[in-house]
Amino acid sequence: MDSVNPLRTSPRISWTRRARSYSIVVLLCITGLFYQAIAAEEQSLEYQVKAAFLLNFTKFTEWPRSVFADANAPFSICVVGVDPFGSALDQIIRGEVIGGHRLAIQRIKRGTRPQTCQVVFIGKTEKDAGRILADLGPGVLTVGEGDSFLQEGGMISFVIENRRTRFDVNPTTAENAGLKLSSRLLSVARTVKH
Amino acid sequence: MSNERKLSFGAFRDLPIARKLLITILVTLTVALMLSAAGILIADSVLFKGYLQLDYSTLGQIVAENSTAPLAFNDPKTAAETLAALRARPHLVSACIYRADANLFASYIRPTESSRCASVLPHSGEEIAGGDVSISRPIMLTGRPIGTLILRYDLNEIAERRILYGATVLGVLLASSIIAVLLSARLRGIIAMPIAQLVTATTAVADTADYTIRVEKISADELGSLVDRFNEMLSVIQSRDDHLRTALRDREAALGEAEKVRERFHFMAESMPQKIFTADRQGKVDYRNRQWTDFSGFSFETVDDLGWAQLMHSDDLEESVLKWEHSIATGQPFHAQHRLRRADGVYRWHLSRALAMRDANGNILMWIGSSTDIHEQKEKEDELRRANDDLQQFAYSASHDLQEPIRNVAVYSEIIARRYYNVLDSDGRKFLGFLTEGGRRLGTLIDDLLAYTRAGAVEGPLGAVNAAAVLEQTLASLAEAIRESNAIVTTDPLPDVYVGEAHLQQLFQNLIGNALKYRTEDPPRIHIHASNQGTAWRFAVRDNGIGIDPQYKENIFGVFKRLHRDQKYGGTGIGLAICQRVVERYGGRIWVESAPGKGATFYFTLPHPAHRVRSTATDTAAR
Repeated sequence: MDSVNPLRTSPRISWTRRARSYSIVVLLCITGLFYQAIAAEEQSLEYQVKAAFLLNFTKFTEWPRSVFADANAPFSICVVGVDPFGSALDQIIRGEVIGGHRLAIQRIKRGTRPQTCQVVFIGKTEKDAGRILADLGPGVLTVGEGDSFLQEGGMISFVIENRRTRFDVNPTTAENAGLKLSSRLLSVARTVKH
Repeated sequence: MSNERKLSFGAFRDLPIARKLLITILVTLTVALMLSAAGILIADSVLFKGYLQLDYSTLGQIVAENSTAPLAFNDPKTAAETLAALRARPHLVSACIYRADANLFASYIRPTESSRCASVLPHSGEEIAGGDVSISRPIMLTGRPIGTLILRYDLNEIAERRILYGATVLGVLLASSIIAVLLSARLRGIIAMPIAQLVTATTAVADTADYTIRVEKISADELGSLVDRFNEMLSVIQSRDDHLRTALRDREAALGEAEKVRERFHFMAESMPQKIFTADRQGKVDYRNRQWTDFSGFSFETVDDLGWAQLMHSDDLEESVLKWEHSIATGQPFHAQHRLRRADGVYRWHLSRALAMRDANGNILMWIGSSTDIHEQKEKEDELRRANDDLQQFAYSASHDLQEPIRNVAVYSEIIARRYYNVLDSDGRKFLGFLTEGGRRLGTLIDDLLAYTRAGAVEGPLGAVNAAAVLEQTLASLAEAIRESNAIVTTDPLPDVYVGEAHLQQLFQNLIGNALKYRTEDPPRIHIHASNQGTAWRFAVRDNGIGIDPQYKENIFGVFKRLHRDQKYGGTGIGLAICQRVVERYGGRIWVESAPGKGATFYFTLPHPAHRVRSTATDTAAR
């Protein structure tokens, strides 16, 4: 990236022409390979961060007690449709307890109505987020991806800004669903919508 | 060092009180303020460090709390913004937030600071580096540490507070010093002023001796009472001064008077023919008049140096000195005769007397004495005594020599009467009777004359004689006459007296004999009594006889004085003369108290030996 600055290679060219022309070819090849590797890496890194964020959202949100069937019921994070996290989410919630409830991951098939979920994640691969959201009852924190998720009735939406994972929040929606988002959560959100 | 301190203390001691007060106030103030400032500083340093720790700990807590969300959602920007608010704390050097993986997450560095946060979390929690203190706080999210906050702050605040405190103390000290200086001006009025007044007053009193000066009392405290005491003292001194002046005036007046008296006395003394001297109460002669110096040829000073001894005849010196010492010791009048040497070396007899002059309390002030030249008188006395002695000798030898022929007359007239009675005619017998009677009377007369001359004779040393015993002997010798007259003789207890036993017997014999002789028809009652008169015994012989007409009471003591010429009362008329001679020989006196028909009481005194004026036949003769 910065290292391919042509100005830095120009003195070497003056040493031997041949060496210079080979070098350019080799460098171009390496750079191309590197780009590919990094893209895959970034993809997995992004969802690791999002998994951590997802877990952290639960720590800045208050649920009404009534959302749990009983005291032993697990705290369920439901991933609807395609799961982009891979094993990252499972790893991150291992051993985590929220308000005395064990954390659990549910993967919901597309078209299935999520039930007994406290958190519902709808990935950007799901096109019909609005319909899924409409089916959900109160007491469910809805997390999605992309700028349009909040417009579709979501509460928190991951966005990428300057290659950093951030999120937008609509606390009103959450409030309507009986949830209370911490002001500290709002303070680190990219945008807070109403 | 200690010398300097002493010196400075000494200098302080000599300062005026107002200055002392000011210095005392300032020193006390400074010490008190310094001590409290030091106390506050020390306490504050300790407390404030703790406070700072707590404060920064709380701050760390808050910052950590506020950093959980940025850390949880990987938002260093927000975290940095949160940290930026720490600019309000100028003593916070840096705040560094590290992720759970120990990498630096966000930081705040004080604008003036050049150092940065370490990129990796350093070990150990709290440490002081270069005067700064670091505290470390874990950043927790639901009980799990998700990062670490490290706050670093400097301790300059403590130093700042110290400077602030110091400045405050200095300010207070300056302000209170100014107030103290101002106050001391007032205090000068309250404390130093009265003292200054006292000083002024005492100086004025000392300089002018004006004791009417008084100091005004300003306050009712110790200084006020000091002023009161001072004024009281002054009034006491004033009254004493007045008294002293009066006393001095009186004394001067008295001295003047005494001087006048002395001058008058000296004038008198100088004008007298006698030798006059005065002596102090110790007997030291302090004045002699001109007659003394003229007589002795010595000046007063020389005579004084020489003393009595050089002027007095050595035979008279001891007795005179003893008498003088006795008088000085007892205060009794001095009386002595002695020979004093005239300037030409001739000794002349003098009679010296001195009397003690006493004050109102009887204390002896001085002795005033005189010496009178009695030389001529003394010589005449001697002549007279010699003549008297001769006469007495003559009388004695005459009467003694007359006894023999008189006895012959008596003896032979009796022989004639016995043998030749029948031969004589009636005229012869009558004449013989006259002759016998005359011879007998002549014999009695001669006996009485002998007794009379003996009464003046000097006897040996006198012992104590018991008057009662002598009276008893006398009564025994008078037993016949007492029995004839049926007289009753009574006596009170009688003392021991220092007279010749024969002389006392003569006294009793004559007085009692007279009482028996001059009786009335009644049996005589005679009583003998003695009483101590202090300087002498007084004897009394009282009877109930015919008594004596008072006009004769002096005459009866003369020789051959007889009141009764008739035969009823026989006697030679020498008895009472003998009595008088005996009594006067001992310096006593004899007298009678009587009225006709009332009986008579004869009194005679016998002075105690100590009070006996040296009286001999000479004195009697000189009378």
